[in-house]
This record gives sequence, structure tokens and C-alpha cells, in this order.
Amino acid sequence: MNAVEIQNLTYTYPGASQPTLKNISLEITKGDFLAVVGNNGCGKSTLCKVINGLIPHFITGDFQGEVRVDGQNTLDSQVGDLARKVGYVYQDFENQIVRPTVLDDASYACLNYAYPDYLERGKTALRQCGLEGHDAEYIWQLSGGQTHLLALAGAVSLQPDVLILDEPIAQLDPMHADRIYEVLRELNQKYGKTIVVIEHHTEYIADYCKHVLLMKDGEAQWLLPTREALQHVEELEACNIFPPQVTQAAHRLQKEGVLPRDEALPTTVEEGRKTFGKLTYMPQPAEGYKGNDREATAVSFRDVSLAYRSVKGEPRTIFDGLNLDIREGERVALIGSNGAGKSTLMKLMVGLLKPQSGTVSLFGKNVSDKKPEEISRQISLVYQNPEEMFIKDSIRGDISYAMKVRGVPQWEARTDALLERFRLRELQHRDGRLMSGGQMRRASLAVGVALEPGILLLDEPTANLDIATRREILGVLEDMKDIIKTAVIATHDMQLVCQWAERIIVLSGGKVVADGSRDEIFSQTRLTQLVGIRPPEIFTMAQALNPQALCYTIDAFTRAFQEAKTCVR
Amino acid sequence: MRKMKKKLSENILEKFSMDFLRNQVLKNAYGNDDTVIAGLDPRVLIGWYLFFGLVPWFANDLYFLLGSFILVMVTTILAHVAGLVLFLFALGVFSQTGYLFLVTLVFGGDASAIVPLLILTLKVATISLASVTVFSGLDPDKLSNGLMWYGCPERLSFSISYAYRMLPMLMEEFQNVLLSYRLRGNPPARDTFGGKVRYLIYEIKIIMESFYPLMLNTAKRSRTTVEALELRGYRYAATNKAVKKIKLSHLKVTSNDLLFLAVSFLWVVLSILCSTLF
Repeated sequence: MNAVEIQNLTYTYPGASQPTLKNISLEITKGDFLAVVGNNGCGKSTLCKVINGLIPHFITGDFQGEVRVDGQNTLDSQVGDLARKVGYVYQDFENQIVRPTVLDDASYACLNYAYPDYLERGKTALRQCGLEGHDAEYIWQLSGGQTHLLALAGAVSLQPDVLILDEPIAQLDPMHADRIYEVLRELNQKYGKTIVVIEHHTEYIADYCKHVLLMKDGEAQWLLPTREALQHVEELEACNIFPPQVTQAAHRLQKEGVLPRDEALPTTVEEGRKTFGKLTYMPQPAEGYKGNDREATAVSFRDVSLAYRSVKGEPRTIFDGLNLDIREGERVALIGSNGAGKSTLMKLMVGLLKPQSGTVSLFGKNVSDKKPEEISRQISLVYQNPEEMFIKDSIRGDISYAMKVRGVPQWEARTDALLERFRLRELQHRDGRLMSGGQMRRASLAVGVALEPGILLLDEPTANLDIATRREILGVLEDMKDIIKTAVIATHDMQLVCQWAERIIVLSGGKVVADGSRDEIFSQTRLTQLVGIRPPEIFTMAQALNPQALCYTIDAFTRAFQEAKTCVR
Repeated sequence: MRKMKKKLSENILEKFSMDFLRNQVLKNAYGNDDTVIAGLDPRVLIGWYLFFGLVPWFANDLYFLLGSFILVMVTTILAHVAGLVLFLFALGVFSQTGYLFLVTLVFGGDASAIVPLLILTLKVATISLASVTVFSGLDPDKLSNGLMWYGCPERLSFSISYAYRMLPMLMEEFQNVLLSYRLRGNPPARDTFGGKVRYLIYEIKIIMESFYPLMLNTAKRSRTTVEALELRGYRYAATNKAVKKIKLSHLKVTSNDLLFLAVSFLWVVLSILCSTLF
């Protein structure tokens, strides 16, 4: 029995010249756990909105073909009826929460559909989503991960057969991400729900999903069982979807002839044990973090304490006596779970927040004594949400704004150069908010570096982005090394951390709990468990094969693990 | 001393940051759900408000007004109203009557103007405090349920609770936009008096310019909210009588409500009695 059947679907948004979905036919079986993958902007979200009837009932446009949910044609049913069959959790899930308290929000839909036992239904949904005991809490008391679970509970409360989630873990740390997927697995296995996720974290796909649908330019390329799907390494990479690191490593070793070509590629660490088990580890020269005591201190925190006002009760303490130095020329990754204070730390550095006690100084001078103009020449912050950086009606205006008001010589020529460098020339007169995720990120970066600050702070620069854009961001940092001497990135993306950072600072509970090179951080298993961070999969794989192996990238892994005979030679 | 003064002025400016305003709005709406007033039945409270919000307009008796004023002052204290709201109230009432008193003096009046002005002040203050008690002491949902019971359209009551959902979001966006201007803008120095004036003009200009990104960002965010509301059956509920019935089935008049009404009644009777005696 199929939960969803789509036949010859072609859909064009109102006013668009090209169809977003082209001649799609597919079937999703009941009880499936399906991952939809594809490039940014290939029509994944549109496809999901077709399934829950928002298209064509709420968003009009040119709709051809047939979509059946649970045997019922979506054209013949109303959004309200479909909502009881298909639950939807948005990517910007916090905006889908409309009620002040947890139970209120979870039961809101049931109340609207006039179920007399709506509170019971809300409670059931909360239990199914692992939010038991939070009934009376206000939504702003929840953490990011809990808010996402609440959005899910709101959708689950109507007990639909199908649940659709748009990038459920994009902004979450690994522990919270695991939590979401564990809940989804339970909903799938215990309660028999059909689950569709739009996802580009292929490690999670390999661990949890049953099938994978690849979309490309509005067309469904194929729908295959997960293991088989992830074997299509080159095809996936062409769509900027990168298979799990284990799979990539095996693929590369196959190409180099180290592994036999006819063998299936492993997709999880467990499978990797078998595949790579035959290989021998060749010890690699250790690369320690040298530390640069010689360079000047760029940013320094002395006994910094800060608390946020809370709606009720005691203020929430973020930092209590924090001490930290960042030296010029360092590449620092700031990691830690959601709510550990990463963004707050960055806002303190640029003077957007003032500590309640203690001092934050930039090149030896207290930030609060500096004029904004001086600060912005030395340090710049690129927000987590690019939208928040757009204050003008075109990105050209946004990029040039700071230079223009400061009377920077030749600001017009410099704006042109920046637009060129970030490949935004064609888009320069468009409003930043209306661009795609990757374009927005590039534009926000251009805004951030416009004044050529010596220190650049990036808050979650790779969230919601495909791998190609991530590479591009790293490329920009590399290119601008002469100008941007010091860079700090706050992120959950451990692949990025391991590829790029020289120094890793781990924040937990408002304290620096660890500070050092990647070897120093990730070899402490206890620490990684304690603060909810996780090394990249390839590192775990190497460790599973040989506890001495510290491989952070696929390159390092393929260098370190070779056939036995090469080793003997 | 100068340092202290600087610190003080900085503090006052800091206090009125967007963050503070946002916090106060939330506090006002949901921060006091465990007070005596919040525990009352909204229908009773709205009925109570109809009396104290209307009658003082037509009464001129000093004792009665004074009595009512004391009563609503007590209820306001019981409701734990957020500081900002009280401050705005005090500012509004006393600047208005203070200004009237000044005008009276300037145009040849004398101290005898105080009594009629006091009566006016008491009227305005009583009505304002009664409103503050009801609209800020009750959380938005209870309030809208109460209004719904009195036959107000569903859309109005939804708007109230939705506005409280949107307001913090709007303020957060506003704060973000202002922060962007602060990071990238180039405000004039404010060491001299002229500089201070220029700075003020600059700030006002920035606030005006913030409007465009503020609206667009909020609109972008609320697009999801609108779709989600559709999915979660908001429109369906608006036309369904059964939903209204379920919502209102929770309203219940308890002994506390009756006690509250009785005390208010007795107090009013007492104050009227006083006015007839003296």
C-alpha cells in the first residue's frame, strides 16, 4: 500500500517562467523513512508542499498531474482534511509555533479541528516526541532542539500517517540532532508513521533512512534503498550531496586500486569496519598545535560575567568569570552545544553586548571605550541569519553602506570588486532577502569583509548550506588571509572544524572546558561525550580501526590506511 | 562623581534597549500568571472592569473616586504589573494633569484649581489602573476567551493572542536591524551639545530607515506562520461553533471570584457611605 502516489506532476509557481517540478512520478510506501536529497533550489520543499496540499490549494500556480495521499486526490480534498493525513515541520520551525505554552501549542491543531479530547491528544503527541513533563513551560524557555520537537509534536498531534520534515537538524548540535532522529525512528517503527525528511547530512541518512530520493533541477532522478543510493557517489557529488565520509573514503580507495572495485561501498562506521579491516594503518607524522605566543593578543576576555533577563524568576547566567585570549593570526573554531554561549561570546567581542562585570578588550583596549567606527575597522561579525544583515533594498547598497558612510576612498570601485569576488554581480540590484540560501550567505560575507577587518567572526556560516558553498566560504577565508589575519568560526560542523581550524575552543555551561588542537580535543573521548560534540565520522572510523589513528579528513584517512603489502615494502 | 554620572546616564540608555522592551512585553503578558488576579475568571474581571472603567467618568464625588482609586491600586499591585507599564501610566497621567495645572497658573488661576484637577486626575488614574489590571493582569488567552464569551468575534480574540506572539518577534527583528546599523553605521560624535543634537537626528533617521528591512524580515518570517496556521486548522476553527464551545468550557466562576466581587462591592458601598456622612 502506498502512502503517497504522484503521477506526471508538473508545477510552476505563479509568475515563474520555468516549472519548479517537472514531470514527477513516484510512490512512497506506507511505513517508509524517506530522505529527499538534492541541490539547493532543486524543488525539494516544493515537492513536500505538494504532498500536504498547500500547493495548489494555498499557493496557486500551474498544477498538472495527480497527487494522491492515502488514495485520496489532493485536488479533491481541502488543506484541513489533508493536514490530518500529512504533518509538516518547516525549516524555520520556530515560526510555525503560535501559542505561548508547550501543551497549548501541541494541542492547538486538535482544538481547531474540534476534538473534545484535544488536551489528551496534545499530551500524547508530546509523549511521542519526548517532551513529556514540559507541558506548562513557555516556548521561550525551550532550547533549540526542544522547540523543534515541539513543532514536530504540533504536527504529530493530529496523528497523520505521513510526516514531512524540512531539514530537521540544520541548526542543531549532534546530540540534539540524534535526539530528533531517535524520535523520528520511534514514530516510524513504533507508531508506523511514514516519514519524509529533506536532508543533506548523509551520515544521518545512512543511519536512519530506508530510502533516498534524488532530485535534480525539478526532476526525480531515482528513488532507491539507502545503501544502494549512497553507492552513487559521483552522481551525488555532482548534485553537491556528499555521501558519508566512510563511503567517500572507500570510493577513493577503490579508485586508487587499494580496495577491490566490485565490492559494495560501506555507508556506516559499522560497515566500514569490514571493508577497511584488511588495510593496515601506517603511522603518520604527528602535527601538533604550535601555539603562537609571539603574536599580539587580538581579543582578550578577563573575568567576564553576563546574564540575560528572563521573563520570570532569576536572570539566566551565560558567563560567569570567563577568561580567554585570542591571538592575532589564529584560526579558531568555537564549538559547544546549542545554548553554550557561542553567539553571545561573539557579540561581546564586537561590543553589541556589554559584560555585567569584567572586561573584553580588542588589541589591549576595552571594547566599551572604543568608538563604533574603530571597532568596525578591527573586527566584523557575520550573523547566523544572513537576513539580519540586510538593511538596504539591494545587496549592492548593503555591501557599500559601511564604506559609503565612512567615506572610504573609492568605495564604489571596492564595492564592484567585492561583488565580483563573491559572484554577485548579476544579482547586485536584488534585495538580499529574496535570494537563495547560498547567495544570501555569500552576500552576508561580502558585507562582513567590506571594511577589511583584521578579525572576522562567523556565526554558523555553513548551516543550511550544501558542500559547494561551504568550500567557497573556506576559499574566501584562504584568499583574504593577508587582510583577515584572525578568524573565529562558531559552528556545529565538525568536518569544517577539522579541515580548517588550528585551535578549537570548547564552550560548555559558560566556561571554556577545553582549548587546543584537534588532537588534544578529539582524543579525549570523555570530553566529547560530556559537552555533546562529536568528531567527524572519518575520525571515528579511523579510531575504530586503530586507536592510534587520528585522521580528520578523507585525505588523511586514505593516506594512513593502505594495503598491507605497501606497508611491508 | 563625573564617572558615576556617566554610568548613570549610560544605564538609563541601556535600560531602554529593545531587549528590555521585549522582555517587558513578555513579562507583562505571561510573567504574572500565578497572581490572584490572573487566577480570576476573565468574565468576572471584564464585568468588574465595565464598572470601574465607565462609572468614574460620570461620578464627581471625591470620596467615591478616592475609594475606587485605592481599590484599583490594590488590584494593580496584586496583578504584579510590569514596571514599564506602570511607568508609562504614571508619566501619562501626571504629565497631563501637571501640564493642566501649570496652564491654569500661567493664565491667572490659583491653588483652588487643585481640587477639580485632583478629581480629573483620580478619574483618569482609576480608569487607567482598572484597564492595566485587566489587560495586563490576565494573560492574553484568558482575556480573549473572556471577550469571546461576551460575543466578541473569534478574529478579535485571535488577534490579541497573535499580537502577543508577534510583538516580541517584531521587536527582535527591530533590535537586529538596529544592531546592524550600529555595527556598520557611522554615527556623529556626541561630545559637544551640537554633536548630541546631530546624534539624536541621526538616531531618528536610522529608526525611520529601519522600517523597510524590519517589515520585509517580519513578512518573510510570518509567511511560514500563515501557512502553518492554515495547516493547523485556524480557518477551520473560525467557522466552527463546536470549537468555541470547547474553548469556553474551561471558564469557571469560583469562590475566589465571588469573594473578589464582594470585596469590591463592599468597598464601593463604604466609600459612598463616607461621602454621604461627611
